[in-house]
Amino acid sequence: MAEFEPKIVAFVCNWCTYAGADLTGTSRIKYASNVRIIRFPCTGRIDYMLLLKAFDEGADGIIVSGCHPNDCHYTSGNFHARRRWIMFRELCDFVGIDINRVLFSWVSAAEGAKWADVVNTTVTKIRELGPYTEYQEVAKYPVREVTNG
Amino acid sequence: MDELRKRAKELLESKKVSVVIGYEEGTGDRIRALFVEKPEDVSRLIFDSRCVLNLATYITKHEVKAKGKMAITATIPVMRSIVQLAYEFQVSDKNLLVLGITPESNLMEFKDLLEVETYIHKFEIEINASYREKLDKLAAMTQAERWRFWIDELAPCFKCYACRAACPMCYCHRCTVDFNQPQWIPVPSHELGNLEWHIMRAVHLIGRCIDCDACANACPLAIPINLLNKRLLEDAKKHFGGYQPILKGDHLMSTFKPDDKENFIR
Amino acid sequence: MSKIGVFVCHCGENISATVDCAKVAETAAGYDGVVYSIDYKYMCSDPGQSLIKSAIVEKGLTGVVVASCSPRMHEPTFRKACAEAGLNPYMCEMANLREHCSWVHEKGDATTQKAIDLVRILVEKVKKNHSLNSIKVPVTKTALVIGGGIAGIQASLDIANSGHKVILIERDPSIGGHMSQLSETFPTLDCSQCILTPRMVEVAQHPNITLYTYAELESLEGFIGNFKAKIRRKSKSIDEKLCTGCGQCTTKCPVKKIPSEFNEGLGKRTAIYVPFPQAVPNKPVIDRINCTYYIKGKCKVCEIVCPTKAIRFDQEDTIVEVEVGAIVLATGFAVKQPDFFPEYGYGKFPDVITGLQFERLASASGPTLGEIRRPSDGKIPEKIVFLACAGSRDPAKGIPYCSKICCMYIAKHAMLYQHKVHGGKSYVFYMDIRAGGKMYEEFVRRAIEDDGVNYIRGRVSRIYEKNGKLIVKGADTLLGAMPVDIEADMVVLATAGIANEGSEELAQKLHTSYDSYHFFSEAHPKLKPVETNTAGIFLAGACQSPKDIPESVAMASGAAVKVACLFSQDELTREPLIAMVNRQAAPVYSSCVGCFLCVSACPYQAIEREEIKNRNGEVIKTIAKVNPGLCQGCGTCVAFCRTKSIDIQGYTHEEMYSEVMALLNDY
Repeated sequence: MAEFEPKIVAFVCNWCTYAGADLTGTSRIKYASNVRIIRFPCTGRIDYMLLLKAFDEGADGIIVSGCHPNDCHYTSGNFHARRRWIMFRELCDFVGIDINRVLFSWVSAAEGAKWADVVNTTVTKIRELGPYTEYQEVAKYPVREVTNG
Repeated sequence: MDELRKRAKELLESKKVSVVIGYEEGTGDRIRALFVEKPEDVSRLIFDSRCVLNLATYITKHEVKAKGKMAITATIPVMRSIVQLAYEFQVSDKNLLVLGITPESNLMEFKDLLEVETYIHKFEIEINASYREKLDKLAAMTQAERWRFWIDELAPCFKCYACRAACPMCYCHRCTVDFNQPQWIPVPSHELGNLEWHIMRAVHLIGRCIDCDACANACPLAIPINLLNKRLLEDAKKHFGGYQPILKGDHLMSTFKPDDKENFIR
Repeated sequence: MSKIGVFVCHCGENISATVDCAKVAETAAGYDGVVYSIDYKYMCSDPGQSLIKSAIVEKGLTGVVVASCSPRMHEPTFRKACAEAGLNPYMCEMANLREHCSWVHEKGDATTQKAIDLVRILVEKVKKNHSLNSIKVPVTKTALVIGGGIAGIQASLDIANSGHKVILIERDPSIGGHMSQLSETFPTLDCSQCILTPRMVEVAQHPNITLYTYAELESLEGFIGNFKAKIRRKSKSIDEKLCTGCGQCTTKCPVKKIPSEFNEGLGKRTAIYVPFPQAVPNKPVIDRINCTYYIKGKCKVCEIVCPTKAIRFDQEDTIVEVEVGAIVLATGFAVKQPDFFPEYGYGKFPDVITGLQFERLASASGPTLGEIRRPSDGKIPEKIVFLACAGSRDPAKGIPYCSKICCMYIAKHAMLYQHKVHGGKSYVFYMDIRAGGKMYEEFVRRAIEDDGVNYIRGRVSRIYEKNGKLIVKGADTLLGAMPVDIEADMVVLATAGIANEGSEELAQKLHTSYDSYHFFSEAHPKLKPVETNTAGIFLAGACQSPKDIPESVAMASGAAVKVACLFSQDELTREPLIAMVNRQAAPVYSSCVGCFLCVSACPYQAIEREEIKNRNGEVIKTIAKVNPGLCQGCGTCVAFCRTKSIDIQGYTHEEMYSEVMALLNDY
């Protein structure tokens, strides 16, 4: 039986974490290949439904990462995002969504090694938690094919 | 509530307001909302312990606003909704007069919304004991148990959106669930659709919900969706010191403190 | 119908060593909407770019995905290539197969699969992209410099010399700022006035500079390139065109006992006064609060003696409206009065003074004509004690930060004292010596070694008077906290540098950020020290944080260059990746409900209100509108909007949804 390979989506900000991940590449630091990055201008742009949609569509884990507080390229996007995440985690926890599967981090453009660490830690953790079958089961609703000629 | 009827009549006769929004006797020992436009009809206005319907949900409707200046009988939860709506530029002193009802059921007319704000700030938004018990019980469950609880609890929901219609803060004429380019929240009333709808509604009410229970009271299936809002109210208190509706200033989610707790961020 | 072209780069061997590029291109060719998919060794090279361009033309491509290195590397390259071939550059996206894939994973199926996924995400995104055009905003090529100290003067001269007009406003009657109050400057001991006054005169005479003194900013509207400022020119009670600066009025004014602000309260001035002899403009102003005519309606001596009849008692403030394209803030700093240290006796003992007061004593044009004399009895002090950090580095009572210039000016003051009072003894109680600039450490060494200043490492707990002397009780920590008591004749406190009075109000008028100390905030502490988060507003000098003269001058020139860059174009071109609020037909006009939560989310105040009116001019609804000149494209407002009425180009709802869906379906 093949070992479970988690599917992990990373929502990252362009100015810090994306650049940090670039640095990981330039430094040739190797890390697990389970993560796919989706680029945003700022963590402030990331809204709640994106995270839920990722789980809807089968992600086992999510990473959300941006600039350190006070370093946001747009001054305050990450502060707003942080407040949002604080409340979101509480609500998800209350509803029974496994918040251990969502990892938040601040990775700056200079922290190539940290990005690799964040990815590896997340992959290990999600591998242990297993596939997010709970969510995926309720997400398996029948979708009608649109047929119009 | 003679004082109320008398004042309502005065306001309508002097044409200071065009419509008085209040409560009247409905069918089967229930109450319903009343829109009095003719001074003779004020005799239908009532107020008693059954009147918990949040009338503030009507003051954002263009059909009501089109009648002219409105007067509204407002208990404290309704007053809170009114102040929050004023903060969000949906009502102002120009189109609304508040006929307050104190906790002792006395009439207290306010000159302007600033007086309403001062008055409501005397009362904390408190979650009552029976709900607190329910919240504690849920907190004691494991994550998997809570998930099961909510999936099962929300299963009968058939997306009637009565909760949305009853909530004064849900005045957006294009609700987020109606947005379909792309369709973020699934519309059908299956497990996922129900879960995500109620999660997102609760999320859009962070910092705006004033705990009036209108949503749960409106639900034809008596699903306790207000538990989600109450939990978020508690979290707002825990993390950010709570909130009160205000006329001007910073909203809970639109501000931040440089030292907001972030022990969950790597 | 989308016609997407996918171009997978080998990047030599950088990508192809671990990723099967041919397979990625082959898989992409099978996606809906992809009409062309190839792999090639070097996409960024000339032949590589030609491949893209010819494909655009021959296949009529509506979108391009280049799967190669990081977009932070080559996005502009490929976007330019697409534009040259006739495809809107914003229809080109890049999949990062190198930094995020080939360089960080081992060769194998998993890595190739990841590459395939990354390409698929962007193919789906690009199908939803919109053609965008750069935004152009016109620029008014006049700068407003607020603050006429050395930083403001330098910035004004640099901008004016680059050929642009400058309006310099200063709220005091003369420009010059704190530098004009100094006697000599470290580390050269140059006479401050001598190096400053030529610049002041240059400002006054420069054809491109309009100088308004005794003036403040009343209000500001607009945005970068297009500001409208209202300046309040306070009434000087003088007709400046007639006044010759002869000085008869100031000589004859009977009110002579007003404490002089320029002399930090150590000297006196008249009610009609010029702050200092080298003032620019050298025309007096009437202090209406202390003038007998304004208090009692009597006197008018100045009017009588004025040879050109220039006095105007009933002159009123005037408001001048100007249009400017950029603003430089150079409002400088203030000195925190150390009266919150009652143990030091400032305010109680006249011979305990601040550093700036000492400057005035040492200055040749000061109240004692350059002689160091005690304010109490005019005697020359035999023993003088300097206290460092009287208010700085003190989270408990003062301010927590370091005021940067005090260590240097204490050394300077001690040296000046030793030069002027031969045989005098000077002591400095210090915590650390911060002398990091060019020739600074050598300067302090000179004070200690050549001029015999006694440096004692320790703090002073109390100063009290006994038999006409000031007893300074301190400790020498380098000798194990040994108590040191000095019977001093004068004590000088190195006070903290704080934000100037009125900084908060000014920042709020300008909608620019300031920190908890009311210093103005720079856009980025490392890389953007002269810009603010408000586009078009720049910072120079100590209004951003305490700093010395060379730093202030450097920063002012830096700000001036930023302004000159801005003015070097007739139109500002900006990336169109900005937010927009939707508009629909009547009667909806927009799905925006006008709650304006987005306004508080925006760090740039880029969201405005738009009133939708009917034909009778009545307002139907007020909805949000994004100012394209100000929006920087962060997207925070988009996440805030409940109705999803506001969207951001380049990262629209559709685009991000497609990315997530594409990734996870078929992952």
